[in-house]
Amino acid sequence: MDNNKKISIEVSDDLRDTPIRVAYVKSHSSIAVERQRDEEVMTFPHLIIREALLFQLLLIVMVIWSLFIDAPLEGIANPEFSPNPSKAPWYFLGLQELLHFFPPIVAGVLLPALVIIALIVIPYFSINWDRSSMWEGNIRKKFFRLSICVVLFNIPFVIYKAAPLYVCSIIIYSFMILPLVFRGKNGFMRRISRLGLADWIMSWFLLVTTVLILIGVFFRGPEWRWIWPWIDGIY
Amino acid sequence: MENRNAQKDDSVYGRRQFFVAMGSGALALATTGGLVLTGNFLRPNVLFEPPAKFLVGKPNQYPLDSVVYLAKPKILVIREKEGYFYALSTVCTHLGCIVNWKAQEEIIACPCHGSRFNKLGEVTGGPAPKPLPHFAMNLTVDGYLEVDKNVLVDLSDVLKI
Amino acid sequence: MKYYDKIMKGRIARSIFRTGLPTSNYRKSLVILNNLFLHIHPVKVKKSTLKFTSTFYLGALSFGLFIILVVTGIYLMFYYHPSVPLAYRDMKDLEFAVSNGKLLRNLHRWSAHAMVLIVFLHMLRVFFHRAFRPPKEFNWVIGVFLFVSTLLLSYTGYLLPWDQLAYWAVSVGTNMMKATPIIGDDIRFLLLGGNVIGENALLRFYVLHCVILPLVITMLIGVHFWRIRKDGGLSSGSKQVADGKRDMILGKNLGVSTEEVLNDRDAEK
Repeated sequence: MDNNKKISIEVSDDLRDTPIRVAYVKSHSSIAVERQRDEEVMTFPHLIIREALLFQLLLIVMVIWSLFIDAPLEGIANPEFSPNPSKAPWYFLGLQELLHFFPPIVAGVLLPALVIIALIVIPYFSINWDRSSMWEGNIRKKFFRLSICVVLFNIPFVIYKAAPLYVCSIIIYSFMILPLVFRGKNGFMRRISRLGLADWIMSWFLLVTTVLILIGVFFRGPEWRWIWPWIDGIY
Repeated sequence: MENRNAQKDDSVYGRRQFFVAMGSGALALATTGGLVLTGNFLRPNVLFEPPAKFLVGKPNQYPLDSVVYLAKPKILVIREKEGYFYALSTVCTHLGCIVNWKAQEEIIACPCHGSRFNKLGEVTGGPAPKPLPHFAMNLTVDGYLEVDKNVLVDLSDVLKI
Repeated sequence: MKYYDKIMKGRIARSIFRTGLPTSNYRKSLVILNNLFLHIHPVKVKKSTLKFTSTFYLGALSFGLFIILVVTGIYLMFYYHPSVPLAYRDMKDLEFAVSNGKLLRNLHRWSAHAMVLIVFLHMLRVFFHRAFRPPKEFNWVIGVFLFVSTLLLSYTGYLLPWDQLAYWAVSVGTNMMKATPIIGDDIRFLLLGGNVIGENALLRFYVLHCVILPLVITMLIGVHFWRIRKDGGLSSGSKQVADGKRDMILGKNLGVSTEEVLNDRDAEK
């Protein structure tokens, strides 16, 4: 090689010129190989202009929203009188709904702590979880295991009569076993049969959160009694 | 030479270890001190809160078989048919909302999470884990009823006049 | 346009924006590299990440809402006294007397609600796209802390208007803390600065809401953004190849232009 040769950077848009890695990946092992180098664009202006536009749009939406809908402000705080019902902000109403079913130590401390811990450990739990879908391999064994887990998991909810929780579990469970009943008939079935366990757990969490918040916002009236919003109005 | 070096190495290592230990020890001590100081600072010593012991008027202000809600001290003063008194906390044992006396249903209901209590403060429904506490009541020498929220008494412990 | 050009090429403008007008790809990259606020971005981004459905721009929206909240929050601080009779009076003042006070309060309130929602959706998006996989595990953890901080900020801000809604929501919330075994009572006492929600509690929530939590969340956001780059947002430095001429500043970037490299390669062939 010529020593005087200048240092050069390898630049090529041609895949034949740049080395391509070939890897054999066994099933059930992780894939750490990028398929193809992604096409890249300049951050300025492509990304920056999008960010600027997005922020402007956001500001416009927020200002219009704020112009037309006023933030709530009730009477001055009075420690001697609790309004009936007294509701937390909407994002805590799920928690407040849980408080209706469970003792404070469970609903107020244990469950939120568990949710946060569960969220934190997600990426450390398993790297490989989306490689294998739910119904692969020994389906019968998997089905029994799943059913037992679901039943055990929901026993406390049944004991405490926390209907929204076990109803959500039943909904998610039926969707999970749906592909076993109607095997691979259409695109939808094939799609949900491919979902991993993690997706199902997250869907359950999402469903429970949404349902509890909706119940708290719309279906709870004075003394935290069940109401129908179209009859009694929204409290 | 070698001997001296070895000696020096040993002594240097020992001294270094000693200083490292001293340094980390001092750092740990200072951190603990700082934390304790912060904790103490954040814990107020004087509270400007409503007093725990107060007078609630004369016995004849309360008719027989009455339930009177006193808003400021957050208590219910109850005089039974037989004439005895007791004072109930109106702070729900669940999450601290103010419970309301419902005269027609003869129950005490919490507006927040639907706990229900009977006239004695015992839980009859909802998520409340404990009955409403009874506060000590007694008669002062000049004939006033006095409630002491620092002293919790038993259900059977009532003030007979 | 003539005047604009003249100003932008003038001495003063050049002293501020050394880059000059972003006419070439090289100068476009300098726009990012030479700007304190933009250099958190890589010079080039993957085209696929710009697609709406790949992020729904939820992270950017969360950050945008945070900016709105900081700005409107500072505005509101000019009229707010964190003390018991005054806090509520100031709310009424903002609502009825202060020019545009109502709009700013509404903006702050609704943006806070929107931020909780958007941050949660952002988390869901990251989960279902599996964007937390190695090496991005820790950034997900920071994201969880950011979500918790958002909730705490929203919660501490909830007491500040000192109306019935605020008082009882915080009352219920702090009594929930009391349920924690052993340390529950102490935590509540420290947080409220007393046994009941009063002056001390309002002041403490104010300090948490306006100083401590914003500082925490700002730092977390900084780390979160930085980790995006470090965890593979930017592939490698050598990819930053400019077009055309050599440049003094780009000299750091090996000082070789694309043309030269291509010419060399052709010569070898």
